[in-house]
Amino acid sequence: MSTDTEAGAVAPETLAPAPPVLEASGVTVRFGGLLALSDVGLAIPPGTIVGLVGPNGAGKSTLFAVLSGLLRPASGRVHLRGRDITKDSPQGRARQGMARTFQQPELFLGLTVREHIVLAHRVRFSRQRLWRDMVDPRSLLPSSREEKERVDTLLELLDLTQVARSAVGGLPLGTSRLVEIARALATRPDIVLLDEPLSGLDMKETENLASVFQRVVNNEDHRVSLLMVEHDVATVLSLSSRIFVLNFGELIASGTPAEIRGNESVRSAYLGDDDATVGGKPQ
Amino acid sequence: MLQYVIAGLVLGGIYAIASAGLVITYVSSGILNFSFGALAYFVARFYYYLHTQENWGIIYSALLAILVAGPALGVLLYFALFRHLRLSSPLVKVVATLGLLVAVPAISTLIFGTQAIESAPGLAPQPVRVFSFLGVAVTLDQVIVYICVVATVVVGSAVLRYTDVGLKVRAMVDSPAMTALSGTSPNAVSIGVWAVSTFFAGLAGVLAAPIIGLDPNNFTLLIAAAFAAVIAAKFRSLPIAVGVGLAMGVVTSLIQEYLPPSSNWTAEIIDAVPFMFIAVFLVYNLVRRDTDSGAERVGGALDRAITPQGANQMAGSTASALEGGSLGLMAKFAGPVVLIVVAALLPIIVQGFWVGLMAQAFAYGIIFLSFTLVTGEGGMIWLCQITFAGVGALTASQLATNHGWPVLAAIAAGGLVALPMGLLIGFLTIRLGDLYVALVTLTFGLLMENLVFTMGIFQNLGLGVNMGRPDFAVSDHAFAYLCLVAFVIVALFIFNLRRSTTGLALNAVRWSPPGARTLGISVVQMKIIVAGLGALVAGIGGGFLAAAQTTAQPGNFATFLGVVWLAALVTIGVRSNAAALVAGITFTMLPAIALAYLPSWTGQLPAILFGLGAIGVAKFPDGTLEQSGEIFRRRLLSLANGRAPAPAGDLRAPGARLLAAPATNGDATQVVEEVPS
Repeated sequence: MSTDTEAGAVAPETLAPAPPVLEASGVTVRFGGLLALSDVGLAIPPGTIVGLVGPNGAGKSTLFAVLSGLLRPASGRVHLRGRDITKDSPQGRARQGMARTFQQPELFLGLTVREHIVLAHRVRFSRQRLWRDMVDPRSLLPSSREEKERVDTLLELLDLTQVARSAVGGLPLGTSRLVEIARALATRPDIVLLDEPLSGLDMKETENLASVFQRVVNNEDHRVSLLMVEHDVATVLSLSSRIFVLNFGELIASGTPAEIRGNESVRSAYLGDDDATVGGKPQ
Repeated sequence: MLQYVIAGLVLGGIYAIASAGLVITYVSSGILNFSFGALAYFVARFYYYLHTQENWGIIYSALLAILVAGPALGVLLYFALFRHLRLSSPLVKVVATLGLLVAVPAISTLIFGTQAIESAPGLAPQPVRVFSFLGVAVTLDQVIVYICVVATVVVGSAVLRYTDVGLKVRAMVDSPAMTALSGTSPNAVSIGVWAVSTFFAGLAGVLAAPIIGLDPNNFTLLIAAAFAAVIAAKFRSLPIAVGVGLAMGVVTSLIQEYLPPSSNWTAEIIDAVPFMFIAVFLVYNLVRRDTDSGAERVGGALDRAITPQGANQMAGSTASALEGGSLGLMAKFAGPVVLIVVAALLPIIVQGFWVGLMAQAFAYGIIFLSFTLVTGEGGMIWLCQITFAGVGALTASQLATNHGWPVLAAIAAGGLVALPMGLLIGFLTIRLGDLYVALVTLTFGLLMENLVFTMGIFQNLGLGVNMGRPDFAVSDHAFAYLCLVAFVIVALFIFNLRRSTTGLALNAVRWSPPGARTLGISVVQMKIIVAGLGALVAGIGGGFLAAAQTTAQPGNFATFLGVVWLAALVTIGVRSNAAALVAGITFTMLPAIALAYLPSWTGQLPAILFGLGAIGVAKFPDGTLEQSGEIFRRRLLSLANGRAPAPAGDLRAPGARLLAAPATNGDATQVVEEVPS
């Protein structure tokens, strides 16, 4: 295994070996006669950014759906912090420390930015109790100090303080993605699954979001792993410490960015066999 | 048996024509037109006016009513309403067409008068010729229905399949945006589709008039029955809709042969048969899991891409349950407090008869709070809240009058009886899209109305069951205040719930179930909670209403009357507790004032206003009260900040305005942009 580190990425290989936060093994998914995923496995170390890439139709979204519980695999297991969560619902996984974002941000348009984070925090740390919520007038009082501090910290971390009281309906795409990430982090997850977080963003927004990811994984307060499905391979290579590559439902490569860059199968998958080896050298 | 089949084919033929009209507008615009029956009634009434009252000939009357007025009505409604609904949420579409359902019959009465017409001519000359077919008498009116059905199927299918127009319609079904980019105007196609749909409405109406008379309620029920065929066709297949419509008519007719004619239940069962069909088809689709909101999606990827998330959603977009804004809590609560004070003064100000009405108004306010919970907070369009209110009222009156329960305990018990029904319906509709939820709840209401509310113990020979009042609140004054106190208590519960974690979670589930689920929120739990609470509140409100009226009369809880309730509340604001109280007062007082002090023709104005108000939800999703309150809050904020008021374009998000972005289908797709402060 390589120990090379890309800019800002944490190299798990240089640290004491730690059990993976999220691990999938032998995942197979069939849609009728189509084999969407075939015996795919991956492991996400704690406190790292991991990329999941592949050409269109490679099975990235399917694997993402399996990991987040939206799709049940025909075979294979998914473990979160060593616990088998294969049969758990998405909300069950969320309660155990898995969060995710969506390619098209799934925000709650009736809530402000701050309320998104407050809700996520409360869902994890003070579960709603219906009858108490109805009759206890404390909901009229301001939030607890602990909750306020936690929410303020997240707003600051993601540079959302300025828009904290804004309705999310009017936010630009880049800011909407930040709100989704803040909401995910408010549940204090062990891992966040990011579904094409950079799509639709311009260069500046991409840089901003990349720096947010770095801040999140380097946050000493709580180390989070990020698994990112992304089409922008260059950014994934620059951000991730480890990358998994899918093609036609199979895992064709995994390794550090340097290893992936030099991998013939990967180049072939993206460029085609002929183009990848013109003159005997990878293009 | 043949005579039943022939008679059944007539009824089925009308179902078939109606379902054809419903299907073509659904596939081309995603709108299930709940007002179809009202439109059918309008055209049929116009035909009657021309032919019977003005003595025009059948051909000229039919040409003007069915071929000119019907399509013209469709074009008018397209420009006034339907074109604004295309990319709206199913919730908005349903409510807007329900508004039309309330307004059109009232407008019709205003134009043509209140004359009750039990027997109306069809398209056959009078006296109607009678033929003999295999020994069974067949009237010319019936033959005309058969011809119309065959023409509908043959011409409709041929146009859709083989003509350029049909190709354009089918293209627009898939993607209006792509159709526009290909050089065809989706507006022009839509106008044609709506004109054809209202032509079918008019045709069905004129053909049905000799069978059911000219009563708007009968038309509404007849077309509601046609929904069964539309559901069986999964809203899309014209041949299936027509086939099922015909089959339904025949089966309904045949059942009569096997039911004992002397039984009290026979009439109720026959009336309920179409709704049983709806229930069967809904359950079938439910089992097949073919009822998700995806079925309600209109257009292709491009159409969805140009529609911002939540655009044109109804109510609930008023941001911030927790944030008080810089005005602080006092300014936020000033309005509701003033309203409660004014409401408390009203029973003192008014006298006699009007005090009793105030008690009813406050009781209606309680029932309307159930809509606030279910539709306002939960974002679910339930059309059976009136049924839960009826269950509460009938249960309470039975317990209080026939079993000697204390009145308040009986009212509470009425709510508790409605609660499990709400939980059950909530559970059954968890995974359904908005349109299916509306249809399931409508069907539940109609079945309860036809099979349960008609039972002898509730009808009491048409008199209803007496309902007393608590000993300490026997007078109208005292009971009005008791109702107001009950309203305030329920409103405070809802207010508290809205600001709590559960309230935020409800909001989250409403706007994005996937987002909520991956946050750890149980969508199922949230929806069932809302459903149960809504039924409980409606049941309790129903009990109070029965006590205010001193009788529990099943006829006061007819399902389609509940649509008027919903229209009244939506007009004022479906998400605001204060709006529920205002709607209760308005709904009770406006007709009474019109009746007591204004010319008789104004008696239709309240229904027209409520109907138009509900239609207005397409433009003002949060209702007039919320809109006015928002403008007031903006002005206060601006005055406090010492600058000009912010533009009030978008009242949904403070500090935001709406920009009309060019949309390829000719409609203005609205994009919300933050205004820099």
